[in-house]
Amino acid sequence: MFELFTYDFMQRSLLAAAMVGGLCSVIGVFVVLRGLAFVGAGTSHAAFAGVALGYLMGWPPLGLAIIFGLSTVWITGWVEEKGRMKLDVSIGILYTTTMALAILFIGLMKGYNAEVYGYLFGSVLSVTSEELQIIGGLSILVLGLILLFSKELYFIAFDQEMAEASGIPARRIFFLLLTLVALTVVVSLKTVGAILVFAMILIPASTAYQLTSSLMTLTLYSVIIGVTTSVAGVVISATWDVPSGPAIVLLATTVFFLSILASPKRQRFAST
Amino acid sequence: MPDSHEPIIRFDHASFGFPGVIALKDICLSINAGEFVGVIGPNGSGKTTLCKAVLGLMAPVEGHLHIFDCACDALRCHHRAKIGYLPQKGVVDRNFPVTVLETVMMGRYGALGLFKRPGLKDQEIAIESLTHVGMERHRDTALGHLSGGQQQRVFIARALAQQPKVLLLDEPTTGLDITAQHNVIELVEHLHDELGLTVLLITHDINMIRSRVDRLVLLKTRLYAAGPPADVLKPEILSEVYGKDLVITEKDFVIVEDYHHHH
Repeated sequence: MFELFTYDFMQRSLLAAAMVGGLCSVIGVFVVLRGLAFVGAGTSHAAFAGVALGYLMGWPPLGLAIIFGLSTVWITGWVEEKGRMKLDVSIGILYTTTMALAILFIGLMKGYNAEVYGYLFGSVLSVTSEELQIIGGLSILVLGLILLFSKELYFIAFDQEMAEASGIPARRIFFLLLTLVALTVVVSLKTVGAILVFAMILIPASTAYQLTSSLMTLTLYSVIIGVTTSVAGVVISATWDVPSGPAIVLLATTVFFLSILASPKRQRFAST
Repeated sequence: MPDSHEPIIRFDHASFGFPGVIALKDICLSINAGEFVGVIGPNGSGKTTLCKAVLGLMAPVEGHLHIFDCACDALRCHHRAKIGYLPQKGVVDRNFPVTVLETVMMGRYGALGLFKRPGLKDQEIAIESLTHVGMERHRDTALGHLSGGQQQRVFIARALAQQPKVLLLDEPTTGLDITAQHNVIELVEHLHDELGLTVLLITHDINMIRSRVDRLVLLKTRLYAAGPPADVLKPEILSEVYGKDLVITEKDFVIVEDYHHHH
């Protein structure tokens, strides 16, 4: 089994999985705490529509994925702010619209394009060194911005109104968070796919949520869980020849259910 | 003690709301440094709008609002951190993973500004704030494990951690049991005396605060009365605001009937 690790493709995959796992689990903390879970799902489908359009027209797929993803989160944020429509309704509409566009673009392509489906279902084992550079660059950018604005991001996740009242530019920080969610989704698209990236964002943070009552510890646990399950998922995928996306996500889900059983919060409620 | 003749909040014929929906109209009111002011009025009388205005979250549509003699009407400047705010008690998610100290540290974030990391000094200020509200023992406890009254204390400590000049409290006793209500109001009174803070306390509970505040402000879209409690809590003034049949005043007690139903 250990010879696996000597292959270039395997080293690239493990590195990509570790970076994506780490990135998703950090942004996931804010997504879970701010209640933006559904936004992640909407964004990943929008980004996939961008990829499909890119392949259809021969334009750079990741560039279009970023444009589609950012437009979706910004429209969503704007709708939430105006309060004209319930957030779940507006995302529901955007989500299905972008998915319809994706299906339309794929339908317009001549013949079957395996690469497009790679973005839908994830194929970390086929990640190229060029893609790895893009993932690395975007990961550094997103993590850097999170680090730079972490105190503001925590504050708006806890209580946006209060944050604004105490002098934090809460609105701008909220849009920054939405932007970072969109970038994270795009970075992860190739590795875990549009359908499963959402799980990668939610599960590590939700698992950590079961285990601690401190924001700092929550973030630390989330990253540990995210990186470990991603790397282990790739190893499982390569060893038993199963698709990598589902391997990562199902492993993370298993850890999540174990965490519910082990949760001190659950035990506290059971005893009261 | 601060100079009590110096107004730090001044409404000058200020109206707030949206075109067509005016929540507060033509308010003229000065609040001096070091004053303890209670704001009362029925539901929908504009109490929360007043709060948002003072916080700089809402600019006047007419007239002016001067806070700390700041040039900007909407307080979009560093002055915002000088107002420590306790919002109406929202439901704190009991599972939200945040400790007491982490919650109070958030009070430092606005004052610190962007790009600066909270340091040891900020932590000292946060712990000092917890000491002021008597919660320093619970600094590592999860916020969700505390009672409603204790959570309010923590949120007051968060406001204090901003090292504010003004403490603005929006219905701090709502949803608490009677003992906790008294404790919170006593704490506010104590902070006013001890730290020389200007306090703006918005409440439904007239009797709880009447003996403690310097002035009462009675709102119902307009400013109906402002002055010492004895001058404001007169039957003729109260019935004008709350409706004739709902007000009974006896010696030192005011009963505004049915307000719980409006609540």
